[in-house]
Amino acid sequence: MSTDREILQLYREGGREQAFRLLVQTYKERLYWHIRRMVLDHDDTDDCLQNTFLKVWRSLDSFRGDAQLYTWLYRIATNETLTFLSRQQTRGEYAGLDAADRLSSDPWFDGDEVQTALHRAIAKLPPKQKAVFLLRYFEEMPYEKIAQVLETSEGALKASYHHAYEKIKAWMKEALDAKY
Amino acid sequence: MNEQKDYLSSCAGGDNPFRVPEGYLESLEDRLLSRIAAEEQPATPAKHPAWRIIKPALTLAAMFALIFGMGYGVLSLTHTLGRGVGSAAEEYASAEEELIRPVSLIDYYQADETEDTSELDEETLVNYLAAELSFADLADIYAQTYKEK
Repeated sequence: MSTDREILQLYREGGREQAFRLLVQTYKERLYWHIRRMVLDHDDTDDCLQNTFLKVWRSLDSFRGDAQLYTWLYRIATNETLTFLSRQQTRGEYAGLDAADRLSSDPWFDGDEVQTALHRAIAKLPPKQKAVFLLRYFEEMPYEKIAQVLETSEGALKASYHHAYEKIKAWMKEALDAKY
Repeated sequence: MNEQKDYLSSCAGGDNPFRVPEGYLESLEDRLLSRIAAEEQPATPAKHPAWRIIKPALTLAAMFALIFGMGYGVLSLTHTLGRGVGSAAEEYASAEEELIRPVSLIDYYQADETEDTSELDEETLVNYLAAELSFADLADIYAQTYKEK
């Protein structure tokens, strides 16, 4: 959090580029993995991540500091990724290819069959439920923060996470039972 | 949460199966800042909207004029060649004679008188004088004519 304050202070003092550089350095890895687990492909992740940071650059002036910088960044990244996934579905990209097919042909994925099954199951979730599951399971973000990122009530998020977990567990069992 | 995580982790393991191209994250700031710099460069000023509207119409008019001019030129050339150079020179000379050569008032009246008298025969002239002049006038003209002779 001290870094957030440092970034904002630097920005207000006129070091706009310096502040932005520090912000990217601090959050690029966390946001990259958040987006990557949602879209799976590295190039798609790169597009979403760059668009996220460009939006941050353009709207840093309007950041009032009501929310924490990191929840604000996660909100922008999640919205950008959800929009990307929605556009991808509308355009019919990867039609006929499920997540397992895409992962097996991805040179930047080294997972075994079980890991492929897990990410295939996550990919089958509805986009917003997927975001909830990823933020909670991989980022270990508290529900309170997820509620700020997704602008939803904590109760709805808990239910959503529970449903997502149960679905993934069932799909994983199904996939592994069929294998072994 | 932890029990759930333990179950999935026991299945899928804790390692991250995704990889990132080498140097990708390290160079991200520089790529972003150069993209921002490129986007923030002032764009070339847009042309005046009126010019954008008029330009296609003017282009069309110019093309039409060019095609018309070329067609007219080709037609004129083929017409001139068909008639030959001599006939064109003759046509120019006759036009000059008819239209350009100045005609004085005296020429006009003289030409008029000549024209009238040449067309009148003797009988018509006698009939005209008999109808229009009195006997005394005729006698006077007769006396003068013979006096001159």
